Amino acid sequence: MSRESLGREADADGDGPAGAGQRLFAAYETRPAFYDEMFEAAGVPRAHCRALCDALDGMRPAEIAAMQEYAERSFLHQGITFAVYGEDGAQERIIPIDFLPRLVDAADWDRVERGLKQRLEALNRFLADVYGPGRIMDDGVVPVDLVRGCPQYRVEMRGLEVPHGVYVALCGTDIVRTNAGFVVLEDNLRVPSGVSYMLANRRALKTSLRNLFRRHRVRGIEHYGRLLRQTLAELAPPGVSDPCIVLLTPGVYNSAFYEHMFLAQEMGVELVQGSDLVVHNGFVYMRTTAGLQKVDVIYRRIDDDFIDPLAFRPDSQLGTPGLFYAYRLGNVTIANAPGTGVADDKSVYAYVPDMIRYYLGEEPLLANVETHLCRDTQGLEYTLDNLETLVVKMVGESGGYGMLVGPHASPDERAAYAEEVRKNPANFVSQPVLDLSVSPCLTDTGAAPRHVDLRPFVLRGNETRLVPGAFCRVALVEGSLVVNSSQGGGGKDLWVLSD
Amino acid sequence: MLSRNAEGLYWMARYLERAQHGCHLLAEQFVIIEDRPVEQIDQGWRRLFAAVGRTPLGGHLDPPPEDEDFMLADAYTLADDLTFEPTNPDAIRNCVAAARESARQVRNIIPDKMWSSLNLAYFDLRDVEMETIWNRQPGSFYDRTEGALRTVSGVAEGTIYRDDGWHFLQLGRFVERVQSVSALIDAHIALFPTAAPDSDADWLSLLWICEAHFAYRRLYSQGLRPTSMVDFLVADPSLSHSIRHALGRIVEALDAVAAGPPLRTEAERRAGRMAASIDHDWPDRDAGDDDATRAALQAISASCRHLHEDIAGAYFNYEIEDAP
Repeated sequence: MSRESLGREADADGDGPAGAGQRLFAAYETRPAFYDEMFEAAGVPRAHCRALCDALDGMRPAEIAAMQEYAERSFLHQGITFAVYGEDGAQERIIPIDFLPRLVDAADWDRVERGLKQRLEALNRFLADVYGPGRIMDDGVVPVDLVRGCPQYRVEMRGLEVPHGVYVALCGTDIVRTNAGFVVLEDNLRVPSGVSYMLANRRALKTSLRNLFRRHRVRGIEHYGRLLRQTLAELAPPGVSDPCIVLLTPGVYNSAFYEHMFLAQEMGVELVQGSDLVVHNGFVYMRTTAGLQKVDVIYRRIDDDFIDPLAFRPDSQLGTPGLFYAYRLGNVTIANAPGTGVADDKSVYAYVPDMIRYYLGEEPLLANVETHLCRDTQGLEYTLDNLETLVVKMVGESGGYGMLVGPHASPDERAAYAEEVRKNPANFVSQPVLDLSVSPCLTDTGAAPRHVDLRPFVLRGNETRLVPGAFCRVALVEGSLVVNSSQGGGGKDLWVLSD
Repeated sequence: MLSRNAEGLYWMARYLERAQHGCHLLAEQFVIIEDRPVEQIDQGWRRLFAAVGRTPLGGHLDPPPEDEDFMLADAYTLADDLTFEPTNPDAIRNCVAAARESARQVRNIIPDKMWSSLNLAYFDLRDVEMETIWNRQPGSFYDRTEGALRTVSGVAEGTIYRDDGWHFLQLGRFVERVQSVSALIDAHIALFPTAAPDSDADWLSLLWICEAHFAYRRLYSQGLRPTSMVDFLVADPSLSHSIRHALGRIVEALDAVAAGPPLRTEAERRAGRMAASIDHDWPDRDAGDDDATRAALQAISASCRHLHEDIAGAYFNYEIEDAP
């Protein structure tokens, strides 16, 4: 039965007595193999989830489904959508929302927050080092050819000083909870997206489940726009006191355009396209009805390759000629800096714990997933020998594309994929299949466990900041581990609770 | 404000106004078709196509006058050409689509409700065909469509923050109105000389198209005089569809967006001159001389094209060397 038909069913038995045989968690089963975010065991909620469970259990599933349907319809009407490009052109889709929130208690959040701050600090130091003295490579901690050979390495960035040494001003880190605790799946350091869904999901839940928020002392996330603006302002070129900030978008046809629009509005800054900007005497200006206005900080949502046809891809229609020149002169800040992709490459990822030890002299607070680099003979052999238990990823891909999930693939698929790996081993890494935690989701038969991850959004200006929240992604299909929005994933509101 | 946004708003308003004007013209034409003799219907079509400066793709503007069935078959083709013809950029549906496309580009600076009302108007038109509306009531289709577009303007009026964006919307709307009304009156006089007898119905239809019928009746209750109608539509500053009123609104909008004193922009000066010329030169012409009137209207239309270029050059795509 589809999600829509569930809503209709709600109408059909709308007059029935609440409770009786259709309590939300009546049939909920925990799975010993996976950590359950809400229940210790069947019928036994975790301490911080008890009150919410009681409240939700008093509601009829159909009632919640109706709220959910209403929220999704309003997403569509407001255009809170993303575009998926497929065979038949672009399709506007919403990210379905599951109304049962995921709760994170104060202690867990504290661990995540400290771990993320530590990680972003190390990654920024790494980038400053890679494009500066290169100590970490001289000291043999990270192989030099891995860095320089990375397609995201930008030789144009060498020797360039960026304000406060901040290369990555915004990141969206994908974290999962396994039976062994929180693990970082991936650092998104280029143009991370999803923060608008975090805020939209919160808003949708607040309108429907209002009374629950205060009772649970859920920490607010609505100040994200203000923090983002503050962060970008702090990164303005030296000497600029009231910087002009803009958000640079590829335009209305970009899959994340809604988010670009939303963030520009949240910050109260202009949403510009490359053609709105001109570089004149080494400064960047935007073309306004009152003449040219100097731009100091560009929050760009365009990939490196496209920001400046003179510096990078000459065929780019999206960028601004000369932008990189103005950037090199230090007359404008680009956030994130070009070339940050070298630090979220799937091979370089394997070295992040070493970076933390190397730059900060600390042990990583958040673990990495054990990663085998196929560029190493040992890693390649291990990967090919254990394909049926591993997830194999292409280093340059994201969004869940180009991935082999060994246990779910047929022998033929595995053989074909192995062939690809052998052809160009450096392009692949492998990781064990993770035991992602589950959280209750609304299904046709009441609540049922589904796998989830979380993507908090960390900001780095003069200091590192994050709002206590995340875009929580959920694999809506039973048993699926793929949470990517482009592959049928949904979203959930994530509640970080006060002490 | 960003030049691209200003330009998007300006064009959105122009296309909306153009679509609305198209609805007015066609709604009135379908009234004419109801009960007027064949020659008048034919002249109505000719006025219509001359007013929008178009030669129809199919159909005839000069059919054999005795063949009434032939006339109606042509009406179908001619109306289709002005409403749905994909290759006619000024066809009503294309105008609404273009307005929506402009709106999409500036969605982040217009109220959500404005976007959704325009979206609604677009979706109502998107899958309609001439055959559908022909088999029902073509006239009421144009009324309905015009109503949907009027809602968009009303929502804008009621919700938009009055900054430069609003002023560029006003500019687009009223520049388009000066163009369309001057072309319409010119085309009308060419077909219906002011001195021709027994032409009340034709002249009244002109007033209907310009939403001036009731106001005119109230002000000139002694009877219909074509020359006074022309004066009314051109020079009365209080009539919303008059050229003079539109120019007044253009001057106001330009004042509001101008970079500031001391020098007025070329666009401001031109708009001011056009308004002053209607106040001071228009009454001096020989009102009985239709050629003089038409020449004056064509001069207004030409000035208005220059005005558009002035606006584009000052605010949208100025050379960087000229940047203020």
